[in-house]
Amino acid sequence: MSMLKATLPSLAFLRSRWLGCPLALMLTSTWALAQDKRWGPGEAASDYGYRFHDLFWLITILVSVAFALVVILLAIPVLRDRERPGHRASFDHGKSLHDKRLTAVISIVIFIILDAWVLVIAMQDLREAHWALPDAEDPQTYRVEVLAQQWAWNFRAPGVDGEFGTADDIITINELVVPKDRPVSFNMSSKDVIHALFLPEMRMKMDVNPGSINKTWFRPITAGDFTILCAELCGFAHYQMSGKLRVLEQGLFNEWEAEASKLASTAFDADDTEAQWAWDWEK
Amino acid sequence: MRGISWQGLAVSLGALGLLTSLQTSDDENPHARAPRGVSLVVTAGSWLRAPSADWFAKQAKSEPSRFTHDATAAGGVGGWVDSRGEYSLSEVEGEWAYWQWVSPERLTAGRRDFVQFCSSCHGLDGDGYGRSAQHLRPTPRSFQQNKFKFTKVIADLPSDEALMNLIKRGLAGTPMLPWDLSDVQLLDIIQYIKSLSPEESGWRDVYSQVGDPVEVGEDPWADIKERAIARGREVYHGAASCHLCHPGYVTNEQLRVLRKDPEGTVYREDLTYPALKDSEYEVLGRATKVMPPDFTWHQLRAGITTADLFQTIASGIKGTAMPQWKGAIPDEDLWALAHYVEDLIVSYKDQPAVRGAFMKGLRASGDN
Repeated sequence: MSMLKATLPSLAFLRSRWLGCPLALMLTSTWALAQDKRWGPGEAASDYGYRFHDLFWLITILVSVAFALVVILLAIPVLRDRERPGHRASFDHGKSLHDKRLTAVISIVIFIILDAWVLVIAMQDLREAHWALPDAEDPQTYRVEVLAQQWAWNFRAPGVDGEFGTADDIITINELVVPKDRPVSFNMSSKDVIHALFLPEMRMKMDVNPGSINKTWFRPITAGDFTILCAELCGFAHYQMSGKLRVLEQGLFNEWEAEASKLASTAFDADDTEAQWAWDWEK
Repeated sequence: MRGISWQGLAVSLGALGLLTSLQTSDDENPHARAPRGVSLVVTAGSWLRAPSADWFAKQAKSEPSRFTHDATAAGGVGGWVDSRGEYSLSEVEGEWAYWQWVSPERLTAGRRDFVQFCSSCHGLDGDGYGRSAQHLRPTPRSFQQNKFKFTKVIADLPSDEALMNLIKRGLAGTPMLPWDLSDVQLLDIIQYIKSLSPEESGWRDVYSQVGDPVEVGEDPWADIKERAIARGREVYHGAASCHLCHPGYVTNEQLRVLRKDPEGTVYREDLTYPALKDSEYEVLGRATKVMPPDFTWHQLRAGITTADLFQTIASGIKGTAMPQWKGAIPDEDLWALAHYVEDLIVSYKDQPAVRGAFMKGLRASGDN
């Protein structure tokens, strides 16, 4: 035993300022990774995206502080009361009333600070953003019907006439073009299994279920090309079920929509009823 | 060892052993991956059409011990002999042709993977109407119609290599993904797909020709791209009249000058838009229509490099209005067309502002 002790380095250095290490390390590494688009979430391109950031950092900081606290509280008795020359280690179940009270108070405080705080903010975000679907009647709302399948995204927009199920419906596969600064509202369903439409830069993700229509929305505030992914394991080629989201400035979008509608009308085959899969918009 | 019940341990071990012995591995159980009620076992092998003598000459270079040329083979007709006996030259309906024997075991292996990976769109019988094919346009290929759009072959039917290229690469902008399967799996699936040809058609037809993709060869315009594009524009709107189905990327007046038509000639309405065309692809007993792509707008399926475009234009797209251009116009012009189309894609596709200005310019002339 004494041989082993002699070979180990002294743990005394952990006693003081080194205890801040875990906290500092966690926060700096998280921050550093978050700066890199490949690792972190990158910049949000939708108007409610900041909520994601706020919640992400709130949880990260709270959990880091709690983690550091637990490490410190654990390290103190381990170092202070350890077996050493002149001190005998003892075992204590913590059965006294004082210990039980302390445990209860700490648990409640942690629950209130961590769980309740995050829960309240999360519910606020759900109510004010994710469930606050834009008014479908408002011409400003750009509506898109999504039909997911193994393994592709079928998108259908109403075209310039604003009505689904007509000749000028803009139908695209794995590619969606939307206007900047206008709310984009989705009605989504699936042909086969459960998929999930995931627009990471827009901080939007929603399951797409067969047999029901799921609704969600976002408002892009940055023009450019973004990612469309499937976020629900949906079979062999789930990893290939991706697409491109293109956000265009208003003027450019209107031109694009007119052209896409015209091309759609040209490609429209009225006798091919099987190709018409639009449904009545569900609010 | 207090607390351990030796009887209990013995019973548990015995039960575990029994369960393990009852379990069969996936490989032993051919029905493991089958949807209920579908048999995966193919009981009969198939004789399928093989490519021509040229293909064997090519194979013989990589496998000289397997393929040998014998002038006295097939009763003096002379041809390639496969030492493994998979391919053979034989006479059917008075036609000497190469046939390939595909064993039931191989077809079973192919069917198994076909059912798992392909049937959701292409259908359990390969009729192009699986469950996921519902509403899809363009429709998934039916393997009972024996028409393949993007294999880049001039012959009626693609060789195994041509089909494999297509499956590995996928078709851009469609749910036909680049399939990440092993070569063995792909080749088995391909044999199975070929065996879906109805009697006396496709790979079961003695008169079918099976071939590899068009040889790319050398690009005659490699160093003079600008001239190739200008020449391609002339051919596109002139000799090849691509603008009849695809959009014309010129004004009515420019088109008249390019075609050297008399003053006042008026071309089709909506010249700068593609025109919907009939196709031979049937879904639910009805021929579907196909939209020729606008190169500045639609995504091309079979690649957008000059070589890809050359091959696609040369071979045409089977079952659609796009004919085979190889032989119809000189190779030099085919290359020029490929350069012109590539230039259209590079300059305008995915650049809405630039494309919008270009098309608006054409349409603003008022004469189309």
